[in-house]
Amino acid sequence: MTESNQIISVKAYRFEPANQVKPYFQNFEVKCSEPISIMALLAKIHEIDPSFACRTSTCFKGKCGSCLIRVNGQDVLGCTTLVNPGESIVVEPYSKFKVIRDVVVDFREPLSAAKE
Amino acid sequence: MKITENLQTDVLVIGGGAAGLRAALAAAESGSQVIVTNKGPLTKSGITLTAAGGMQAPFHPADSEEQYFKDTLQCGYGLGDQNLAKVLAADACSRILDLERYGTRFVRDTEGHFSLGQFPGQSQPRNLFVKGGGLGLVSSLAKACQAHANILIIDDFFVSGLITGQSSQENVAVGAIGINLRNGQLTLIQAKAVVMATGGCQWLWEINDCPTDATGEGLVYAYRAGADLIDMEMVLFYPSVIVWPPSVKGAFAHYEFLAADILDGNIYDHVGNSVLPKPLPIRNEAMQLMAKAINDGRGSEHGGLFWYVGNSPNGLKRVRETLNIAQYNYIKSHGIDPATDKIEVAPGAHYLLGGIHINEQCQTTVNGLFATPECAGNFDGANRLAGSGITATQVFGAKAGFAAHQWAVANQYIDANPASIEQETWRIAGKISTTNNYQGTAISELRNRLRTAVQSYAGVNRNGEGLARLTKIAKEIREELSQLQVPEVKVYNQQLIDLLQLESMCEVAMLVAECALMRQESRGHHYRTDFPRQDDQNWLKHTLAVSMGIEPRFATKPINMLSE
Ligand SMILES: Cc1cc2nc3c(=O)[nH]c(=O)nc-3n(C[C@H](O)[C@H](O)[C@H](O)COP(=O)(O)OP(=O)(O)OC[C@H]3O[C@@H](n4cnc5c(N)ncnc54)[C@H](O)[C@@H]3O)c2cc1C
Ligand code: FES
Repeated sequence: MTESNQIISVKAYRFEPANQVKPYFQNFEVKCSEPISIMALLAKIHEIDPSFACRTSTCFKGKCGSCLIRVNGQDVLGCTTLVNPGESIVVEPYSKFKVIRDVVVDFREPLSAAKE
Repeated sequence: MKITENLQTDVLVIGGGAAGLRAALAAAESGSQVIVTNKGPLTKSGITLTAAGGMQAPFHPADSEEQYFKDTLQCGYGLGDQNLAKVLAADACSRILDLERYGTRFVRDTEGHFSLGQFPGQSQPRNLFVKGGGLGLVSSLAKACQAHANILIIDDFFVSGLITGQSSQENVAVGAIGINLRNGQLTLIQAKAVVMATGGCQWLWEINDCPTDATGEGLVYAYRAGADLIDMEMVLFYPSVIVWPPSVKGAFAHYEFLAADILDGNIYDHVGNSVLPKPLPIRNEAMQLMAKAINDGRGSEHGGLFWYVGNSPNGLKRVRETLNIAQYNYIKSHGIDPATDKIEVAPGAHYLLGGIHINEQCQTTVNGLFATPECAGNFDGANRLAGSGITATQVFGAKAGFAAHQWAVANQYIDANPASIEQETWRIAGKISTTNNYQGTAISELRNRLRTAVQSYAGVNRNGEGLARLTKIAKEIREELSQLQVPEVKVYNQQLIDLLQLESMCEVAMLVAECALMRQESRGHHYRTDFPRQDDQNWLKHTLAVSMGIEPRFATKPINMLSE
């Protein structure tokens, strides 16, 4: 196997609420030899760069929605969506709630379009 | 760091799992104003969500409170507090009827009666099933709390410590300090009574089946405030927690399904030899065999053995039917077919039997401070029956909430000891670097080191040497940690939470190690390879960690026996 097959390239959404800086994307390369859930992948990114915020609590059932996230433009459950080594993905916050920081959203604040 | 927000309430509940929410309802329904805090979003964090939803109560016509009580004591190897076990058995049915009132639904048979399963150790069918499992339970309780005018829920709020005051020379809990993750406010919540409901600490073990929230800081906060902790060595392990692949690590496969009358599978080593005899041994014996097989080098490269039902004599159809539940569909979504694939598993930490010492009113040894499952103990002993965990959240949740309400009615607000506030705000301020010269991945490295050590030395098989080593390692890590700082970030400072949590985890590890070292016998889930026998002569008693300012003191305590 070549090296690139052991790496997942992630373009991750960054947002620092206090600084009024515009959201931007940061690239991460995560070493990984197995298919991995988006949720576990984000936890790895938080280990590589602890300033990257993400939720980590899981229900192990795909039922609670703690892991809701947007991958390649689609809202998904991060705990049951897999990504393979060698792939490149774009990760953004789940689209229906207000962002707190990076990909962490506030489940108490639905965005207006989602309120209906 | 300064307090930037002040709140006041009659009863403060810390933790919004099944226990904390039930406590909040009990206090609010009695007339108290209640604030519930939860470190993650409500219904999206906590151990209860992961629960299968089995719940015990003696509804069966042939069953009784007495029988439930006796089964509990027997299953707990005689170590359960009898006064508490009595309350658990006596109130179980009523609390389940309460749950129906709150909107929780149970599985019923065709005639409309509760479906009752019989699990090992239950002398009658006693297990009800919550529809939607733990999530169904928490969701209905959360709705009931949200609908109650007296309850204010503040989630995404990390409590960092308790605040104490003085009343007639005695220490009293008068509230808590915490960080509102949404807006970064350092918040002081003043309360007449405080209920600790923060769940367990099983995430300290590298292998466990709990969410990342289960880091045990509530135990440490209570302990720092002067509350005794009981039987901290008593952690219950589950035989078959998934260790590989990484994305599904922490989910579990049912040990019980391996029984001949269900799927008739087994646990296999890396060359395909079965590890367990049939009929299946009880869980703790199975785990000793599994831990030994792993230690003897019979495991996989990831430290696991193989859970396998693919050769079930009962046929693939039956296997598929049995495994057609959310938990296995989750495993399936990770590319593993549990009906035909070998799943890599090992014993993992599952439940904290010990915890903050409570009496029948859930009062701790600190005035104004109450505690309710899983952070409280010890109503089970050295093992517990299936389905007692969730029942305990309801029985003791209601007790704690009501007792906290009564305390709040009988007492005025007591001013916080200024030193207690200052100590806490200084502690947090000391963790924040204004120069941003923080240490990158150091926190996660230390955390991994701690979790590996807890797994190696305080797992299924323990011995004196290893436990002493664990204390030493936890102290070293705490020391290194005290040198670390995180950047000053106002909103959602996850690094700060990581750091504060790890600090508490070090303390929990030391407490577990010291208590396990003290108990020089084997009983239930506490297995000492250097003291392999149960010693009723000397050890039919609790271990106790008593907070004494800086250094802890360890002691033992007789078991509460019901007067005949
Ligand atoms: C996989 C699994 C399956 C299980 N299945 C069953 C079963 O079928 N039947 C049964 O009886 N038992 C079962 N149990 C055990 C049972 O689910 C738990 O004992 C019980 O749900 C614990 O409830 P709790 O409210 O005490 O804790 P939790 O549900 O963990 O709630 C505690 C809450 O406190 C919050 N918290 C923690 N620290 C802080 C802090 N510093 N500041 C603010 N908030 C904080 C957490 O976010 C969490 O939401 C199972 C356990 C596991 C792990
Ligand atoms: S973590 Fe619960 S649904 Fe994904």
